[in-house]
Amino acid sequence: MNLQIAALLAQDGLTNGAIYALLALALVLVFAVTRVVFVPQGEFVAFGALSLAALQNGAVPKTIWLLLAMAVIATILELVALARRRAAARAYMLAVAGWLVAPALVAALLWFAAPLKLALGWQVCLAILSVTAIGPLLYRIAIQPVAQGSVLVLLIVAVAVHFVLGGMGLLFFGAEGSRTPAFTDAMYQLGGINVSGQSLYVYGVSALAIGGLYWAFSQTLYGKALMATAFNRVGARLVGISPNFAGALTLTVAAALGAFSGVLIGPITTVYYDSGFLVGLKGFVGAIIGGLVSYPLAAAGALLIGLIESYASFWASQYKEVIVFTLIIPVLLWRSLKTRHHEEDQ
Amino acid sequence: MSAGAPRSAFVRRWPVWATLAALAVAPAVVPQFYVTLLNYIGLYSLVALGLMLLTGVAGQTSFGQAAFVGVGAYATAILTTMFGWSPWLTLLIGLLATAAIAMMLGFVTLRMSGHFLPLATIAWGISLFYLFGTLPNLGGFTGLTGIPALSIFGFELRQERHFYYLIWAIALAALWGTHNLLDSRLGRAVRALKGSLTMAEAFGVDGAKLKSIVFLYAALLACVSGWLYAHLQRFVNPTPFSLTASIEYLFMAVVGGAGNVWGAVIGATLITLLKEVLQDFLPKLLGQTGQFEVIVFGILIVVLLQRAPDGLTPLVQRLLPRRRPADPAPAPALAHRAVAAATGRPLLEVLDATKEFGGLVAVNNLSFELRQGEILGLIGPNGAGKSTMFNLISGLLPLTRGNVRFNGETISGLAPYHIAARGLARTFQHVKLIGQMSVLDNVALGAFLRTRSGVAKACLKLDGDDEARVRYLAAQQIRRVGLGAQLHDAAGSLPLGKQRVVEIARALAADPALLLLDEPAAGLRYAEKQELANLLRQLQGEGMSILLVEHDMDFVMGLTHRLVVMDFGQKLAEGLPADIQRNPAVREAYLGAA
Amino acid sequence: MKSVRLLVALTALACSASALADINVGVTLSTTGPAASLGIPEKNTFELLPTTIAGQKVNWIILDDASDTTRAVTNTRKLIAENKVDVILGSTITPNSLAMVDVAAEAETPMISMAASARIIDPANPKTKWIFKTPQNDSLMADAIVGHMKAHGVKTLGYVGFNDAYGEGWLGEMKRATAAAGITIAAEEKYNRSDASVTGQVLKLIAANADAVLIAASGTPAATPHKELKARGYKGKIYQTHGVANADFIRVVGADGNGSFLPSGPMLVYEQLPDSNPIKKVAADYVGKYEAKFGQRSTFGGHAWDAAMLLQRAVPEALKKGQPGTREFRAALRDGLEGVKEAVGTHGVYTMTATDHLGFDSRARVMLQIVDGKWVLEK
Repeated sequence: MNLQIAALLAQDGLTNGAIYALLALALVLVFAVTRVVFVPQGEFVAFGALSLAALQNGAVPKTIWLLLAMAVIATILELVALARRRAAARAYMLAVAGWLVAPALVAALLWFAAPLKLALGWQVCLAILSVTAIGPLLYRIAIQPVAQGSVLVLLIVAVAVHFVLGGMGLLFFGAEGSRTPAFTDAMYQLGGINVSGQSLYVYGVSALAIGGLYWAFSQTLYGKALMATAFNRVGARLVGISPNFAGALTLTVAAALGAFSGVLIGPITTVYYDSGFLVGLKGFVGAIIGGLVSYPLAAAGALLIGLIESYASFWASQYKEVIVFTLIIPVLLWRSLKTRHHEEDQ
Repeated sequence: MSAGAPRSAFVRRWPVWATLAALAVAPAVVPQFYVTLLNYIGLYSLVALGLMLLTGVAGQTSFGQAAFVGVGAYATAILTTMFGWSPWLTLLIGLLATAAIAMMLGFVTLRMSGHFLPLATIAWGISLFYLFGTLPNLGGFTGLTGIPALSIFGFELRQERHFYYLIWAIALAALWGTHNLLDSRLGRAVRALKGSLTMAEAFGVDGAKLKSIVFLYAALLACVSGWLYAHLQRFVNPTPFSLTASIEYLFMAVVGGAGNVWGAVIGATLITLLKEVLQDFLPKLLGQTGQFEVIVFGILIVVLLQRAPDGLTPLVQRLLPRRRPADPAPAPALAHRAVAAATGRPLLEVLDATKEFGGLVAVNNLSFELRQGEILGLIGPNGAGKSTMFNLISGLLPLTRGNVRFNGETISGLAPYHIAARGLARTFQHVKLIGQMSVLDNVALGAFLRTRSGVAKACLKLDGDDEARVRYLAAQQIRRVGLGAQLHDAAGSLPLGKQRVVEIARALAADPALLLLDEPAAGLRYAEKQELANLLRQLQGEGMSILLVEHDMDFVMGLTHRLVVMDFGQKLAEGLPADIQRNPAVREAYLGAA
Repeated sequence: MKSVRLLVALTALACSASALADINVGVTLSTTGPAASLGIPEKNTFELLPTTIAGQKVNWIILDDASDTTRAVTNTRKLIAENKVDVILGSTITPNSLAMVDVAAEAETPMISMAASARIIDPANPKTKWIFKTPQNDSLMADAIVGHMKAHGVKTLGYVGFNDAYGEGWLGEMKRATAAAGITIAAEEKYNRSDASVTGQVLKLIAANADAVLIAASGTPAATPHKELKARGYKGKIYQTHGVANADFIRVVGADGNGSFLPSGPMLVYEQLPDSNPIKKVAADYVGKYEAKFGQRSTFGGHAWDAAMLLQRAVPEALKKGQPGTREFRAALRDGLEGVKEAVGTHGVYTMTATDHLGFDSRARVMLQIVDGKWVLEK
């Protein structure tokens, strides 16, 4: 291996690591607020990229049918809950507006805008919007009813949701993958290595997201309060934060991050309906290395995974997954021993 | 258990007998394909059973169980096809290989906590899956064919109907063994691993070792399932040992629920049948095949867990006749620790104990001693460091500096379970009982160190004698603290004050030389406090030494022989209760405020 | 237990719905899971098939095995025990098909696999008496590629393929074929279907500086190393396998695909075949029907069509020897399949013998080049 190959591999590892980092951030966020290890995060990535690919062809992403179905279910659940509480009439109207009308508007927007073949930037926005809208609905339907459950039950629910979304992905987008156009075709020379503009986008967005989330959750009052819901749901309610609202909001952000990751990697690699799982898993590893609480550490962990993977695929491609997943075990052990834990966390 | 009349016990267990009878005649009466399904259910039940114990009861989530199934399957596949060895020999080798791998993996991964553990299991689960596919001579991802059929005494189990009996004989044996294990000395300790590890360690349970034992047990069950799988399919490739398969096993364990060994069978049955039903009905419903099954499957799992987060077993149990267990029958007493009468000799010596958390000094250069046979009170305002001191003595926290000696021997630095073995038993300020377990079982856990039965004895129910003694002893201690009527109630259902008293009974069951009580009277009514005080006096009269942390001054003053007063982690005063009451520094720091 | 019984009873009811004297064809396909891109066109093809053969009603009972071997075996047992099928079609992939061999043979039910490996019909295994297959063996395709390489002066070859049964099959055959042709394999790399990046593997291939690279993968994932090779400036020849022969691959690989070579069943380019080629008419019929209903053609669907065609050949004779649903009928069907001569399918001409349960000759493969995003027959 000469220096140039080493540099190329490092660049490749960093690009993948940056994507893992974006997923890791979303996972840390979701876990911190809801205690859910959000396995289906990867599906948002796939949905984001494949929705954009559909829009590129002037087709309506079929996810809008999922969106509409979920909106109807969420509205019914919400109305039943309100009726049980004998809520005021205004609450019903708000529920319908939030859970039914808003997603329906998103679906309608996509329905009308898709055939217009708008400029890439607009299509990217539409693709992200359509996936983002699924986030809160998913929380309301799948997670909110078990929000008080043990971490294990939440994890199993998340895995089941991953199965559902994965199956839907196959149904909506087919088994074959797609690539989407790059945001920019620019190429830069950096020490004898070609660096694509797209990968610079990936680095930039990842860094921005890390910084932004770090700022939001450690510097702003609302962010800190959101974090508090994870540890103390009753306490959060007392200071005026509804855990349900916090959960729905978090999944909205996670879905948006996921979809955005999707449109970012769409031009770099082929995305399949089931691409998300392994990408998500590696992001998860990064997140865990960060102890599921620290954004910068999670990002560092994700970059590490990307680098290991890149070099492993050069040295022994046959054993790549074995190497990646075996090497992280000692890292996990080290992190686990460094983390003081509360045993009564169940 | 053994106390009820045999006939009525038989009758009360009709659901079990009915299930066994149904299983026995099934192959003769049900259509061929149901035998196939029952075979798979048996195989999956074995794995789910291990997971139920490991994840459901012990709280150690494993996403890697399918890999152990793979080890069992590959061991026999390779050795029988390439070397022509007997499958029965390869079972043994598979078990040994699994044990070796599980010990290695367990050694590394079981030290992890929280989310590190499930992720680590995912990691090695994936690694092993790819190793099955990529290591040379394992048949690659394509697979190994030509695995021979099993034969028993020359009779070849080629037909599924015959194989069925082998699978279910093994599965039922595993169910019986695991049921016994859960109902044993180790079983009580395993139940404590999830959420009550510190408590268990304070009663002599080596948590890390016990976790490895459970992990190994689950891995071996998975290995046996894999061995059976290989000879049933007579073909192996890596697919059935993937992460997806592990996830499915976990589904089975969680959907089944952890309350009862039959939960594993219920979970395996439900998941297996659900897939069949979906495969048959969805095409009729939707007019299309294939792609909807996994979606509907996932939705149903979500709905199920929303409706029954504890799994199906509790729901099934509600439908079945409930039997109130009999009170333990009298049994010979367990060996008792010889304690000298009150000698005044120092039993516990704390020398310059210091504990720092980061920059915070919780206990600062504290020294005091407790003499053989006395009741010593440790008092101080909130946050004075009393409970920290307790944890330093019982080994829950390591000392930053200083020394603790018990019976002349330095115990600081020892693990809590080693300290417990030397005759210390404690209660906790925040009650640590296993809520779903009966008061009797909770107290019996206290006697963990007084009997020695291991896994094998427990599974085979050879620990009956020891168990009868422990249960009778536990019942006696519970009656002694005045909770005889609540023997079989779930500990979590008692009011908090009574739970504290259960903790005392549990500590007594350990037969300690020194009893450490952390606010035992909190939450008790006046009369109950009087009873407690009488009990402690009585114990002291029998030669027990007691260290007491308490807020209730009347209780302390009337009961203790001497007092140590702590404030800001330091010793403020020490002396007779009457002197302490007059001490101006104490009055200012503590009593004055009260 | 009550609800369990109910479920069992319901399952029974659902399975026993098919009438008796019909011909029951059990199909298990990988329409979900990693092999879904192969299984879906196969499943689609069954919707185009006639519902009668020789005047007898045919029930196509299609199950999904999720690319999982256990599921494939369970499906096979279910089809045999519950649906009393006369013949099994499937599965899509080699491991599943291998796992099904024992079950089909023990139930004395003929089976036609749609998977690639020659191991499935290995004549040395007595059980394969009951097993047939329709797709070209990897060896046939490997020989075609190596022949083409030799003719074009390729001396060294870099290999990159799926880290799964598909890649394994190809690597084995390529090692055999290149050794015979005096071509050395300079690098041997693996990757996973859903890998986002194959930079490491490609850098190693480029470092090996081979005259040509073979990418042994199927569907759009085969484009990942292809595009990476081009992006890193690889100048040698790139060969793909017949696994990529669908429109999605062309869509994803884009202009980078131009100039690369692959072997394929003739169906993919039937328009370019001479009218004298009997396959042309059969393929035109199938592709016409398929594209009218499902859009772009996929050669994998052709394997399903050919399996059904073989049945249509064998059933009329078998009907004379026994009623569907009987052992005699299944045995006669097996004999009929083994006796198929010069049966023209979409992928080639089948002439079975006792030792060759595929029966293809060189008419079953063509070499193609991708030119301007189109498959062009190499003359």
